[in-house]
Amino acid sequence: MLDRRELLRRGMLAAGAAAMPSVVAAQVKPAADWTLGLTDVLADIAPRPLTRLHGRAPALAGTLYRNGPARFRRGASSVSHWFDGDGLVRAWRIEEGSASLAARFVDTPKRRLEERLGAIVQPGFGTPARPGSELGGPDDANAANTHVIAAGGQLLALWEAGSPFALDPDTLATRGPVTFRPDLAQMPFLAHPRIEPSGRIWNIGSGGDHAFVWRLSPTGQFEAGQTIRLPMASYMHDFTATRRHLVILCQPWVQTSPNVPYLRSLTWQPERGSRVLVIDKDDLSIRREYELPPLMFFHLGDAWEEADGTIRFDGCFHKDPAFPVLGAAALVEGRREHSEMPALTLVTLRPDGRADLAAAGITAEFPRAAPEIAGLPRSQTAFVGDYSNDRPFARAVGIWDWDKGSADRFDFGPLHLVEEFVPAGDHLIGTTLNLAAGASELHIFDARRVADGPVASWRSDVALPLSFHGSWMA
Amino acid sequence: MTFRLVTPLLLAAALPLGGCAISINDPGAPSPSVARAAAATLAIRFEGIETPTGQIMLSVFDNAAAHDQNGAPIRVAAVPVAGTSALASFEGLAPGDYAVKAFHDVDGDGKMGTNPFGMPLEPYAFSNDAKAQGGPPRWEAARFPVAAGANTIRINIK
Repeated sequence: MLDRRELLRRGMLAAGAAAMPSVVAAQVKPAADWTLGLTDVLADIAPRPLTRLHGRAPALAGTLYRNGPARFRRGASSVSHWFDGDGLVRAWRIEEGSASLAARFVDTPKRRLEERLGAIVQPGFGTPARPGSELGGPDDANAANTHVIAAGGQLLALWEAGSPFALDPDTLATRGPVTFRPDLAQMPFLAHPRIEPSGRIWNIGSGGDHAFVWRLSPTGQFEAGQTIRLPMASYMHDFTATRRHLVILCQPWVQTSPNVPYLRSLTWQPERGSRVLVIDKDDLSIRREYELPPLMFFHLGDAWEEADGTIRFDGCFHKDPAFPVLGAAALVEGRREHSEMPALTLVTLRPDGRADLAAAGITAEFPRAAPEIAGLPRSQTAFVGDYSNDRPFARAVGIWDWDKGSADRFDFGPLHLVEEFVPAGDHLIGTTLNLAAGASELHIFDARRVADGPVASWRSDVALPLSFHGSWMA
Repeated sequence: MTFRLVTPLLLAAALPLGGCAISINDPGAPSPSVARAAAATLAIRFEGIETPTGQIMLSVFDNAAAHDQNGAPIRVAAVPVAGTSALASFEGLAPGDYAVKAFHDVDGDGKMGTNPFGMPLEPYAFSNDAKAQGGPPRWEAARFPVAAGANTIRINIK
């Protein structure tokens, strides 16, 4: 049997899964409580009021839109990876002190085909194509399941290897894939655009050792686009930006073959180290590169620049891709093969060309900062964390302060699976899945006193699987 | 350059069609002696065309190896679009199995339009209306019999 390191090096997900005695384990153990976080939602969730658990809503009115995979199994078939379920966009609305929830699946070609066949057939990040699949372009496999932002009066449900899908912000009805210009149909568009305080949207789409840089207006109109060369063909889930620069971190988890699914085309090559490409927003040909030790990541925080040209940003770094290769695949089967232990880390790119890492000393994921200061100097990062070896998800929310070197955090305890929290003015807003109640909950914190616990919480009457990312729209 | 997820295979889909465009005027036409010796004709009617401009460009294959491994077609053609349909005709074919790859050159520039990462953006189709699965369908899915005498097939292209 190959050891884990060798599996990762070869990118052999299937061999890895086959080597695990999963069937035996599943037969003798009852399902772990956290498997509620990967439950299937069978139909759209009609608007319904939430029950207030405690506190009163602060002077906050708006909608927390969130997106995440919510259909993993059809008939005897299932996706092979957490990241490949159909995107369900949820709208958690707060208005005049009361709250409601509605959710609709993004109506993608993938979902339509699989509904018709009653089987999972389309390939994805870690799911192979199966008989009956129809794949004329990336958007046929688009799960539209990773993030949702607002631009130009509509929502954009984002994946990363294909187009955004536009949704009606009130009804959540799908309007269809967005083609920014006819010749840019079917282009990759990452789920983590960087939005300037002005509303201007920067994004990249990754294609091997090249990327397409998108620049959109605040209303989501195409302004400019250009293909750039990357230092290596890294897996790209996120990038970051300062006010003046795009900052593209290239990890040594690189595409080395045309294998499908995409996960099987990637090889972990730590000996190559990591690279950071910094590009001038005004002239994409002006670029410089920095070297960093090998690291694997999904998510970065906003970057900022200091007076002497020093660039800083934080990220949640893993020591290797064991979680996406082994862990996130097993979750769908109810197995916890590998816990995620992301380390919140500050990256500093110095004017003399040196770059270094400084770990905060905590586990953290889903880093978010106030959108009003995106790309500008900041010290605080909202996160979810307290990852441990007894369950695969976060149980705490907090705000890490890089100046103070400490976190103001609140532990929901072992019976909540904590999803991303986002800054909303003086507040932090986000959701958890309460395992004891079997229900999804909405929580608001005073961002200056997170440790005091939520100032208001509401409970829904449904248990939604864990979502990935979202946006607060006041 | 290689591209993520489905792109590598779709790129392979685009190439033989593009190759058809490049070789459109040469080796496809049968020599008179071959034409006399063979006994089959094939009419291919393309239907469901949504944009009534440009031409249908197509490649005809007579074996699995060439079809599945980016090999040379035995015939190629470019036929004008008339309304929602187009008709391509071949004479002098030997009876046997064939498969067709085609695309609608909507803008008439003689090549498959692609996005900057090489993804095909003009409509394409295959015999038996076989579906793309991250690349052209395999010979087994696209093959159809041609018998001695007149043969007609239809392909939806949209």
